[in-house]
Amino acid sequence: MRGFIAILVLIGLFGCEPKKNEAVVVEEEVAYSGSSTLGSPTLSSYGFFSGELKRLEPASGVLEYSINAALFSDYAFKKRLIKLPPGNRMSYHPKEVFEFPEGTVLIKNFYYPADFRKPDEKVRLLETRLLILKGGTWEPLAYIWNKEQTEAYLEVAGKSIPVSWVHTDGVMRTIDYSVPNLNQCKGCHLKGDKVMPIGPTARQLNHGVQLTAWRDAGLLTDLPDTSKVPRLASYENPHEAIADRARSWLEINCAHCHRPDGQAKTSGLHLSADVTSALALGIGKAPVAAGKGSGGRLYSVVPGHPEESILLYRIESTDPGIMMPEMGRKLVHTEGVDLVRQWILSMK
Amino acid sequence: MNRLLISGFLITLLATCTKPVDRSWKNIERSLQTQLITVADGDTIELPEGNFMFTRSLTMDGKANIVIRGKGMDKTVLSWKNQLEGAQGLQVSNCHNIVLEDFSVEDAKGDNLKVNDTRGITFRRIRSVWTGGPKTENGAYAIYPVLCKNVLMEECIAVGSSDAGIYVGQSDSVIIRNNTAYWNVAGIEAENSRWVEIYGNEAYDNTGGLLIFDLPGLTQYGHTTRAYQNKLHDNNHENFAEEGNIVASIPPGSGVMILATHGVRLYDNEIIDNQTVGVAIVSYELVAALNEDAVEQPNAIGGAQTVNNRFREDSLYNAFPYDIRIYRNRITNSHWFPAVSNDIGKLLILKSPFTPPDLLFDGIDDPKRPQREICFDENGDVRFVYLDAAHDFEKYSMDIGPFRCTPEMMSARQ
Repeated sequence: MRGFIAILVLIGLFGCEPKKNEAVVVEEEVAYSGSSTLGSPTLSSYGFFSGELKRLEPASGVLEYSINAALFSDYAFKKRLIKLPPGNRMSYHPKEVFEFPEGTVLIKNFYYPADFRKPDEKVRLLETRLLILKGGTWEPLAYIWNKEQTEAYLEVAGKSIPVSWVHTDGVMRTIDYSVPNLNQCKGCHLKGDKVMPIGPTARQLNHGVQLTAWRDAGLLTDLPDTSKVPRLASYENPHEAIADRARSWLEINCAHCHRPDGQAKTSGLHLSADVTSALALGIGKAPVAAGKGSGGRLYSVVPGHPEESILLYRIESTDPGIMMPEMGRKLVHTEGVDLVRQWILSMK
Repeated sequence: MNRLLISGFLITLLATCTKPVDRSWKNIERSLQTQLITVADGDTIELPEGNFMFTRSLTMDGKANIVIRGKGMDKTVLSWKNQLEGAQGLQVSNCHNIVLEDFSVEDAKGDNLKVNDTRGITFRRIRSVWTGGPKTENGAYAIYPVLCKNVLMEECIAVGSSDAGIYVGQSDSVIIRNNTAYWNVAGIEAENSRWVEIYGNEAYDNTGGLLIFDLPGLTQYGHTTRAYQNKLHDNNHENFAEEGNIVASIPPGSGVMILATHGVRLYDNEIIDNQTVGVAIVSYELVAALNEDAVEQPNAIGGAQTVNNRFREDSLYNAFPYDIRIYRNRITNSHWFPAVSNDIGKLLILKSPFTPPDLLFDGIDDPKRPQREICFDENGDVRFVYLDAAHDFEKYSMDIGPFRCTPEMMSARQ
């Protein structure tokens, strides 16, 4: 009888103990090639580049360009190009994205040098994203580079790619870099209900002689006198004012959603660099539906008190339920966060 | 005899212990996500039989007339146990006429199955589970249509949600029928939704069985819900919601809770052995008062609603329930004590020992609406409690007389 009870107890103790189940997953074996309706399966087939593909040398009719303030994408380097259909031009707009002719392709290449202190050496290309203007609609596509760096293949489903580099401080960093799936592209690029480019605005492109050179080459129409063209500060330039740099960082990292026709319009927080209303900038503004994202703080921006400002709380977080922007990064952009902190500190 | 009994025990124990089978997992992440993006309107995505593990949220956006069909909830299992990115398991957004049927979703970091901004969505024979049992770390909602129109949820099973299992929020024209929910904080919940029919469901072993809620600060407010022929029993589970979330204030042992909404008809239900209260009708004032110290929680993942202490600033929100008929329900409770693990339970044991109420109304006056049209009828021999919560329980009463439905109220009951 005792024995029975002992057995019962044993079963009670151990019998139901669930096994530590580290699930073993049989890897997927797919060579998917059925998405040709969306775009060409290979990057090379577009003919954007001349010579060896990985050198990203623009073919004729493809323009390399720079912007003043780049979105933070886990420190990835980016090389941007535009392909205009032969004989076509883009037209200037003072505020919004330039108007582009049908068939325009915006090309953005993401890469990591092995050592950020030698940015031109041992470069690893991860992905190339395209926005193609087709039938009046911008269509996003993502191409992932192979290990050999000889080709990039269309990937609609997104991918995590482990990547390591030696940072500017000499310390090795490793992350799972995330290539978005095509649904996720809309997360940032949706304006109203349309997919739109974000970068090519006058204030972003007003960089050196870029705009006048395009005008002189007959590629850009309606460019006003250069003194009238707005310019976004470069947040990386220590010679510009802190407030301008902070506002520039907020524009490129936040304002694609936080604008009156963006996905975050209901928040009432608008972060384009040309916004002047204190309330729209979050100063003394209570959150609308931040819920857990408020971190218990009362206002988006509390002048002089970054530690009480929800805005800072969210850009400092990497928790998927709290962090801003919601996607496109796994790391905190400490340099950008510092700028915003200093900007809030300097407010009275 | 003893021996027989013991071997009987042994067999039972062994039978219950053999349940966690080792499953073999496959990866179809890339091909399925690709299909969800490339599928042509009008097509069906057939999910194969098997157990499939995902590391990111699966998303489908902007499609029309799509069926996603598995081989049965026991045969096709999608799991996010190893999730690295995103909060949701499967998310469908901005679609028209979508049918999801015959598969299981498990263990997402946030909500297992979320559908938003979609007109026409059917969930049929979907099982949505957190396999580790009820835990605070589980995602908020098992099945989560929100901002949708024409919603049908039927024959689904929801288990382990740290907020609500079978849930609908900010949606219109909803049918929730023949579903089962257990081990959730809220078994079934309709929130800020309009024209909702809830029938033939079973909710047990949740903290609260059925919640019909209207919460402040959201895009739309709810009204008009009929709930009938449901079995809401033994909802006595400990409340494992994250502090600060609205459902954290549900007392364990709640059969039905009707919060700050109107146009509710609750009839022909079996509301059995819910330890604390059979049916409670409360205003948001009471919830806010009970949560005065609660801070909004920064760490929850997913879409859980938190207590909003600025609800009085929302001019469109009515914090007080009205136009509610509770009739012809069978409400019994074999428990002698309410659950005392929260404020409402403590209050009841103080005010009404040995007799947890079958029906409760917090009695907080609506300054704008003296006639609340809240009434009860034909619910059998029930214990009623009028709390008078706003006046320190001064007029606490167990007399249901003033709240009996008049013939006029009942003739207008539908």
